[in-house]
Formats: sequence, C-alpha cells, structure tokens
Amino acid sequence: MKSTLITRVADRQWHALEDDQVVGRGEAWPRHDGRLFLSIDTWQDAAFGRLADAMLADLPRPLYTIVDASDVDLRSRWERAGFTVRRREWLYRLPTDPQVTGLGSAQPPSGVTILPPGESEKDPLRALDRAIRDEVEASVGWQEMPAEVLPRLDDATVVDPTKYTIAMDVESGEYVGLLRIAPVPRQPRIGLVAVRSDRQRSGIARSLLAEVLGSLHRSGVRTATAEVGERNVAASELFDKIGAERVGANLEVVLHS
Amino acid sequence: MTKTNPGIEIEGTVVECLRNATFQVELASGHKVLAHISGKIRKNYIKILPFDRVLVEVSPYDLTRGRIIFRYRN
Repeated sequence: MKSTLITRVADRQWHALEDDQVVGRGEAWPRHDGRLFLSIDTWQDAAFGRLADAMLADLPRPLYTIVDASDVDLRSRWERAGFTVRRREWLYRLPTDPQVTGLGSAQPPSGVTILPPGESEKDPLRALDRAIRDEVEASVGWQEMPAEVLPRLDDATVVDPTKYTIAMDVESGEYVGLLRIAPVPRQPRIGLVAVRSDRQRSGIARSLLAEVLGSLHRSGVRTATAEVGERNVAASELFDKIGAERVGANLEVVLHS
Repeated sequence: MTKTNPGIEIEGTVVECLRNATFQVELASGHKVLAHISGKIRKNYIKILPFDRVLVEVSPYDLTRGRIIFRYRN
C-alpha cells in the first residue's frame, strides 16, 4: 500500500503526495464576511481524510464549506471530518413568460414607479444599496444571505446602474427597492431582490420581477436563475407564486470545534 | 522536484446535467465521462450548463470519471 504524504505548500494550500505525484489538493479561502471556507479535491477517500486532518489541525474554527445537496459522497466525506449542515440554499429556475408567471398585469403600488436598467442615478442607487446592506447587517446578517451576495467591503460601495432595476417613490424621488441581474447570455441570474424594510409587503418586489422577467421574455430568454436561503420564507413564497421551480440546493456545512 | 498530477486534463463539452451534482461531458476525443465539479469551481460559484466548454481532469483510476476544473468563456 502506498503511503500518502501531506504537505502544506502555501499559507492556505495543502497537497497529498504519493510517489511525488499530487493525488489531492486542499485549499482554504476567506470570504468577504471573514469566514474561512475549505475545499478538497482528490480521487481517493483516504487522501481526502488525510488532507482534512492536516487542514483542520492547522486552521482556526469555525470552518465552512459548500456542497451540492445531491452530492452524497462529498457530503459524507465532510461529515466524517466532523462538519454538520448549517443552512440550505435553494437554486430556483424562474420562467420569464408572463402567461406562466402571472406577472403580466402586475403594477407597482400607487406612488411608486419602476426604472429599467440604465435609467437610475448612481448617488441615490448607492444610498439605497447602503441602506439595504445596513438593514441586512442589523437583521438576519450576511451569513443568512445567498453565498454570492457579498457584504460591503468598505464605504466606497460600487454600483453599476446598468445592472439594476429600481423602484422609485415618485413624490420624493427616493429609491425604495432594487433588483440586480447578472446578464449572463446563457442564463441570466437574479443576484438580489431587496426592498426597504418600511416599504415591504406592498408589491414592490413583485413589480420589480414583472419588469425584469417581462423584459427578458421579450428578448427571447425563457428562464433565469436565483438562489434563496431556506429560511427566507418571503423570497421563497414570491418565487413559488410565479411558478419558479427548485432545481437544486447547496448546503453550507460548518465545523465549530 | 516538480510534483506532477496523475490526472489527465482534456477539453470537453457539457452534454447533460445529471443528478448527484454530476455532468455528462463529451471530450474532444469523442469519449464521454461523468464529471463532478472541482472545489475551485464550487468556491467561485460558477454555474455549469449544457453546451459549456470545460476542462476536465479525467481520473487516473477510472477513465469514465472526471472532475471539471475550468469553464471556458464561450
């Protein structure tokens, strides 16, 4: 039986070696919210365990990683290393056809208008982005947000109006809700739907979705994707009501001690 | 001494997204492999879809299995 040697080749990188061949790689990387995430790639169960042992011995707690919910083997490997599931994030596929979504007649509430991408101004958009991020930090926290929605790194929030559809209060001109979309040609992805806390439950998110999905449909795009944390009941209900389909899930697993 | 990787890296095209987080990938040689995504791809939240061109590391232990280690920009 070949012996496996584990070496730490960089501050956050480990290799599993057999006969001078790399048979496994482990890596740790810090997310913007300060949490440390791990990954291990190897074809061998034994090498996975050895790499995990070495990494866990060197790194502070807590440690995190992401596994596809349907990847039973990978999940088992991390669970054998002591990790437990902390949260689940649903991957949704959203139809764009108003006949399917039922959003064809959706209108913003009285006194609110929707600004398509590219028609908003940077300063009020930046103010809305900061206000919403402050509300997230003060409520559920970034650890409950979808993995791709990153916390603010500093005060210089960068916003690109071409990626945002905005709900604006007509009287005050204040921006009260936003939807950010990544215009990936093969399948656009809704990165964030957010409405100021004092304007929620009034149909603004639904009207933002109506604008964006309708626009995609008119340009020939049939579906978009989005991720939603399992505990975000409001967002799940919003997507379920427009005929969105859960097509997968990611699990965030954690090792506390 | 340079450490080498026993896996074989080959370009391919994603044919189908399967259950259990695996993908059927047709390699440039015409062979098909069942591939899952690497930690690096998962770390960067890169979505893999049918028709994507990808770089696959084929398992040295089972030539019908692979790991998607890169997705090319189409």
